[in-house]
Amino acid sequence: MIEATNGDRRQGAFGDNNTVPPQSGPAREKPHPSRRSLQGLDWFIFFLADVQTGFGPFIAVYLTTEKWTQSQIGLVLSIGSVIGLLGQMPGGAIVDAARSERLVAGFAIATIGCVALAYAALPIFPVVATAAAFHAAASCVLGPAIAAISLGLVGPHAIGERLGRNARFASLGNGMAAAVMGTCGYFISSRSVFLVTFCLTIPTLIALSRIRENEVDVARAHGAIFRETPDPQATSVVRLVRKRPLLIFAASVMLLQLANAAMLPLMAGAVTARSSQWAPVLIAFCIVVPQAIVALMSPTVGAKAQSWGRRPLLLIGFAALVIRGLLFAMVHDPYLLVVVQLFDGVTAAVFAVMIPLIVADVAFGSGHFNFAQGIVGTATGIGASLSTLMAGYVSDTFGSSVAFLGLAGAAALGLATIALIMPETKHVEA
Amino acid sequence: MRRAIQVPLVVAFLLLLAAVATRAENESQQTPSPAPAAREATPTPAAKETTPAPPASVTIIAPREAHGVLGREVRSPTNEDMGRIVDVIVDRTGTVRAAVIDFGGFLGVGSRKIVVDWNALHFGRVADKGDSITLELTKAQVAAAPEYKEDTSIVVLGAAGNLQPFEDEH
Repeated sequence: MIEATNGDRRQGAFGDNNTVPPQSGPAREKPHPSRRSLQGLDWFIFFLADVQTGFGPFIAVYLTTEKWTQSQIGLVLSIGSVIGLLGQMPGGAIVDAARSERLVAGFAIATIGCVALAYAALPIFPVVATAAAFHAAASCVLGPAIAAISLGLVGPHAIGERLGRNARFASLGNGMAAAVMGTCGYFISSRSVFLVTFCLTIPTLIALSRIRENEVDVARAHGAIFRETPDPQATSVVRLVRKRPLLIFAASVMLLQLANAAMLPLMAGAVTARSSQWAPVLIAFCIVVPQAIVALMSPTVGAKAQSWGRRPLLLIGFAALVIRGLLFAMVHDPYLLVVVQLFDGVTAAVFAVMIPLIVADVAFGSGHFNFAQGIVGTATGIGASLSTLMAGYVSDTFGSSVAFLGLAGAAALGLATIALIMPETKHVEA
Repeated sequence: MRRAIQVPLVVAFLLLLAAVATRAENESQQTPSPAPAAREATPTPAAKETTPAPPASVTIIAPREAHGVLGREVRSPTNEDMGRIVDVIVDRTGTVRAAVIDFGGFLGVGSRKIVVDWNALHFGRVADKGDSITLELTKAQVAAAPEYKEDTSIVVLGAAGNLQPFEDEH
């Protein structure tokens, strides 16, 4: 099904190009996106971070104040996470099949705006469950769409720096979202957070419209390259799915999430138990510190990925995660835990850039860049769900120190995977 | 794509109408004076269909007297934020034993569910929705308590500050 749609589309996209005079070839190789488009993308990512993830943490609190029971809240959150997991690959396939990445992203944002409004207007089960499902589905499309627009704008040679910049604006956006929505949630009401989200969809859509449609090369955004004769081998989904680097990378990203996802919640629970008075402030710092590191470091990560290659950075990211798990198991002073969160920032900065970058390395030329992102996204989701389940169980039975050691063990396994079997995916420039 | 968005919107709109209708109904029931008449009238059509059951007894509680507690904010006597009531623990005799409060954390991260003795809670201002329920414990006392887990022995935090295991009485 996916194969057929993509095949047809590619025929359409490339049928014309075959007759285009050769001087358009170099133009295709080295894209020159306008300042306006690039700044549009910056601000789009900045506001999107607010819209997409901003109100997530408030859902549980808000529904509690609306007299929802804990099991109902749990059910709604699970609906969201199941759809968020299953929707990754279809979401990527939709972005691959789309003729305009901007349009897909715009629809997804409008959906999230309506979802936020639905939460605020009518907190009853059918509405909230539907809204949670749509929110998760829209996120499955938005993730790949950002990377696709970036790749479509700047092309595979400049994508490392661009992804670094993307990660910077995303984490600045997250920081602003936490500040604005935290303030509204605290001083006004949990409901106001959803209305703020709805209002923020407007600047997001304006920023999106600043990106010039004609500068986002559709074929490039899907990871397709111009070929004189169509090559069914290179553009086969089956061949892409069987690529060893992609599978190894997906496995290591799963290990990453297995080690990472439960770490902050587990640590925050421990902080709440140990320091009653300052716990909320400390937890806030534990969330903000890594975001600040990402904002500072990710452009450097993008640049270094081009000069050093991908593997050294992946090793640094995993090593930081191992160290963090071990320190959480040993350090008990709540104030020092905030310092340990610096390592979270390192890991987050590395992977915010490396995940789309390595997928682009591996999938460029196949025309299924976004589907490949969906595969890695699914691995991320599986790892994260298993992480919370297993760490929760281990920490209840054996205590949180053992749980942190277990998480560090998963990270060490990921480190070994990268060190021993992950190949370098950076293309050697001709 | 557009249709996919429209359908839930229409559904949401219909549900909105339904909710407005139910809310109006609830409000009419809440007003104390006409309520007894209305409630006595309702069981009659049902009674005609099946064997006549005696009409349910009706107790009227004035709005200033009582209020639901789920999701209500809990504060300490020194006005510290102690979280919200998320569940109520009842034993087999029907006696309310304790309340589960969702305590601490930031933006939902790191919050813990703690069980506190029902007698440690004071509901003097319960009827005022904007007001909170008072818990006779300090933050430090609640923070140290073990977390609530369903289907295990529950540790109830009492007002005196000592931890008393909530025994399985079988």
